[in-house]
Amino acid sequence: MNGRLEYWVKIPIGPIHPALEEPEKFIITLDGERIINVDVKLGYNLRGLEWIAMRRNYIQILYLAERICGICSFSHNHTYSRAVEEMAGIEVPERAEYIRVIVGELERIHSHLLNLGVVGHAIGYDTILHLSWLARERVMDILEAIGGNRVNYSINTIGGVRRDLEEKHVRAILDMIEYYRNEVMPKIEEIFLYDPTVEARLRDAGVIPKRIAIEYSAQGPTARGSGVKKDVRYNEKLSVYPDLGVKPITPKEFTGVVKGDVFDRMVVRVGELWQSMELIERAIDQMPEGKIKAVPKDNALLFQLKKAEGEGIGRYEAPRGELIHYVMAQKGKDVPAKWKMREPTFPNLFAIARALVGEQVADVPVAIASIDPCLSCTDRVAVVDANTGRKKVLTERDLLRLSIEKTRELNPNVRAKPEVVGVGCPRGGVL
Amino acid sequence: MNVDEFVKVFSERFPGAEIRVSENKMPHPKRRVWVEIDREKFHDAMKFIKELDPKAQFSIIIGIDAGDRLLAKYHMEMFWGEGESLSLVIGTSVPKDDPKLPTVTDVFPSALPYERENQEFLGLFFEGIPDPRRLFLPDDFPEGIYPLRLDETGIKPEMVKNAGHPYKIKKEGSK
Repeated sequence: MNGRLEYWVKIPIGPIHPALEEPEKFIITLDGERIINVDVKLGYNLRGLEWIAMRRNYIQILYLAERICGICSFSHNHTYSRAVEEMAGIEVPERAEYIRVIVGELERIHSHLLNLGVVGHAIGYDTILHLSWLARERVMDILEAIGGNRVNYSINTIGGVRRDLEEKHVRAILDMIEYYRNEVMPKIEEIFLYDPTVEARLRDAGVIPKRIAIEYSAQGPTARGSGVKKDVRYNEKLSVYPDLGVKPITPKEFTGVVKGDVFDRMVVRVGELWQSMELIERAIDQMPEGKIKAVPKDNALLFQLKKAEGEGIGRYEAPRGELIHYVMAQKGKDVPAKWKMREPTFPNLFAIARALVGEQVADVPVAIASIDPCLSCTDRVAVVDANTGRKKVLTERDLLRLSIEKTRELNPNVRAKPEVVGVGCPRGGVL
Repeated sequence: MNVDEFVKVFSERFPGAEIRVSENKMPHPKRRVWVEIDREKFHDAMKFIKELDPKAQFSIIIGIDAGDRLLAKYHMEMFWGEGESLSLVIGTSVPKDDPKLPTVTDVFPSALPYERENQEFLGLFFEGIPDPRRLFLPDDFPEGIYPLRLDETGIKPEMVKNAGHPYKIKKEGSK
């Protein structure tokens, strides 16, 4: 008994990361097939990172920040470093900034390819999933070559980067871009811009109007898909991005219209894949020689940070949207007084919950997948019938089946069994 | 509107506010505005920001336990339609024995999840909040425990019901 109590008393509680691979609960009230209310409950995987960080020094938090999310591990690490650099006034060498841009854009490519596949899976087109995830392997290999790991490459440190980009890496990256340009992107464009079934299924699903996107502070592709021209890389004049000519991408440049639905969000992601490849090429062209770290030794860095005081904010456009970290120093200690972060999925979840009102249940998986959280662990969905008040719990598999049946109705020529096994962990029977 | 214009307009409207402009040394220097304002004038200041830029976006509420006071810092992104946006951190503080702030959900509806988060984790309460339910913590988490307060000692054994485990929940009447 005592051991258990001990465990629960000591459990660290802090802000969670509500993005990929995390359980979230959407409580949906229905009137027939139409959704009339959506409520979100978070906290099923509270890891208490903020609480843990009160007992770690600046360098240790770097690795903690990276483990907030496996998909955008570089983004978290980078944004946290930026906050600490702003607080302590550390100047980052220019070559390090270019390497950060290159790794950041590689990560954006892998994250967007992942999401395009997940959306394909949510509407029952597993071919898209296999195509885009196969293409994603190439960029994962490059990231492994640069950082040593497929995820959590920890290339970033406070005041620069830990590994230099060598000639062989540059060659591999340019090869990869050529492969994507010629082999992958034509297929992806064909599917997401011109395929009639995909268009029929994604058009007018999960519509977030521009007014709602601004009111609910939607971020990233979710906001840009609704026509909000907002991109932290551009708005914040971040790093060396202004030299590379970054601009927010909206679906208007590709299709001519902005509706703010799932289709538009996917169009933005396709556009950003092109943009990222261009940015990487320009960054490789313009990258100067020089140092890659402001302070070579970690001990010296900690000593410098110990003397720092004040507060700093780091902002970065992660693949899903604006990421923001805040660090407050306490003088004489190498532990920050406060570390706080906010992920882009957090506001996006509430925007999509608002947008789902009035939609069909079959559109729930694809609408939620389109903001890029993890569908496989989207805990479960409780459906309440507004007339009878009866409650029914739909599992992820039920939802996927509904979604796939809708695709079959739209295009009966698609051959495959509608029975699917969800990606990731099966979550039956909990609660 | 650039940083200097904003500082001028804001300090004319709120003479008591403490305004600081920081500049960091990235390749492209970025200036950030930090404002400290009293709790009484805080809601008016947020309304004024909305008047200055109706499209201003709300990013985060940073709640900090600073000994005898609780600080709340709100990050806003303004004028993002005009190229470089204005990054503003507007902060206020409340004494710990009266941790109450006016809600800003009537001005910025997207502030609601952040206010709910600060209510449960830091015990910083927002007057007039439309939805005071918990967001992250379980519903059977003890009342009056705020995990991120520095003087928090944790959950006492008598507060623990079924230890929060879903499989261990006993139905009423069963042994």
